[in-house]
Amino acid sequence: MKFKTTTLLAAAAGVVLFASSLLAHHGQANYNTKESVTVSGTVTDFQFVNPHSLVFLECKDDKGQAEKWQGELTSPNHLVRAGWKKNSLKPGDQVTMTGFRAMSGANSMWITKMSINGEEMKLGQGN
Amino acid sequence: MLRRFLEFNFVLSAVLALPGLLVAQQPAPAKAQGAAPDLSGVWNRRNLPGARYGGYTFSAEEPSMTPWAQEKFKLTKPSFGPRSFKDSNDPVNPTTVNATGCFPPGVPRIYLHPFPMEIVQQPGRVLMIYEFNHFVRQIWTDGRQHNTDLGPTWMGDSIGHWEGDTLVVDTIGFNDKTWVDRAGHPHTEDMHVVERIRRADQKTLQIDVTIEDPKAYTKPWGGRLLYELRPDWNISEMICEDNVNFDQFIQNEEKTGK
Repeated sequence: MKFKTTTLLAAAAGVVLFASSLLAHHGQANYNTKESVTVSGTVTDFQFVNPHSLVFLECKDDKGQAEKWQGELTSPNHLVRAGWKKNSLKPGDQVTMTGFRAMSGANSMWITKMSINGEEMKLGQGN
Repeated sequence: MLRRFLEFNFVLSAVLALPGLLVAQQPAPAKAQGAAPDLSGVWNRRNLPGARYGGYTFSAEEPSMTPWAQEKFKLTKPSFGPRSFKDSNDPVNPTTVNATGCFPPGVPRIYLHPFPMEIVQQPGRVLMIYEFNHFVRQIWTDGRQHNTDLGPTWMGDSIGHWEGDTLVVDTIGFNDKTWVDRAGHPHTEDMHVVERIRRADQKTLQIDVTIEDPKAYTKPWGGRLLYELRPDWNISEMICEDNVNFDQFIQNEEKTGK
C-alpha cells in the first residue's frame, strides 16, 4: 500500500469537506499543523519557483485507485542552500513525502520531510 | 636548487609574516579616526529558542497598545503564527482570494522574513540588501538629516551614525500601510524606529530594535535580533510576486478535495 495516513483526520479523507473558496498560497492557517500525513508516489511535475516550490505526485490510494497529491516546499534559494539543484526532482522520480495536510482535506500538504528515490532530502529554512 | 630556493622563500615569508601574526594576537588596535567598524557580509537570522511566534514579532511580552492600536490589532489577520487566519489580510502574505499581495513589509518587519540580508559599507552610506524581494535600504552616515520632503514611504527614511562599535540607525517617514511585525501589530505614520547594530563577535551581528509610536503604543518596545555571518552565501533572487505560480496549486487544492 503506497498511501498511508498517520492521522484520524486523514483516514477520514473520504468524507471531509473542502473549503468553499480558494484558500490561497502559503498561509499557515491553511494547513493542519497538528497532524502529519505521509504519501508515496511518482513525480509528475516539479516547479522550482518563488516564493515556494511545488511538487506534484501521482499516488495510489488504499484501494489502488490513482490519485493526485501536491506539496509545497520553501523557496528555491533556501533549498539550494540545503543542497538542492533545479533538477533534483524530475518527473518519474519516486517520492515519499510527509507534511501538514490542507485544512480543506484536499490532497495538498506543506512538506516537512521528503525522500527522493530513497534519499532523504534537507528541506531548508523559511516559510 | 629549486627546492632550496622554495624553502628559503617559505622561511623568509614566515619571518616576514611574523610581526603580522603577533599583532593579530593582540587586542585590535584603536581605529583610525573616522574609520567605521566593519559590519559588511551576508547575515542570516538566528532563531532564538523560545522566541515568541517563532520570530513573528520582536518581544516576548505583548507591547502596551493604546486603545486605538488595540482596535486596529483586532482587525489584523496574520497568515502565520498562533493568531493565523485562513482569510489573512496580511499586506505581505495575504491568503484571500485573488490577493497576490506582496506589499513591501517595511521596517522593521523586513527583519522577520526568514531570508538573509547583506550589509555593504561605503563612506557615508551603509546599504542593507535584503533577499526578501530584493529590498535595499540606504542608511546615510554622512551627517545629513532626515529628508522630510518625501511623502510617507514603505521603508522609511534612514540616517545613521556611529557610537563606538555600534551603528545607530534612525528611521522615520513611514506610511501606515505596513504592520510592525508578522503578528499584525499596527502603527501610525509617526512611527520612529531605532536600530542599534553591532558585531557582537566576528560571526554574530546583534540588532536591537526599538519602536516608538505614541499614538499606537504607550511606551517604546522592541527586541534583539541575532544574525550569523554566512561567508559562503550570496544574496539570490526571491520575488514575492511570483505568487501567481500558486494559481495551479490552489485550483488543484479544490479539485483534489474529496
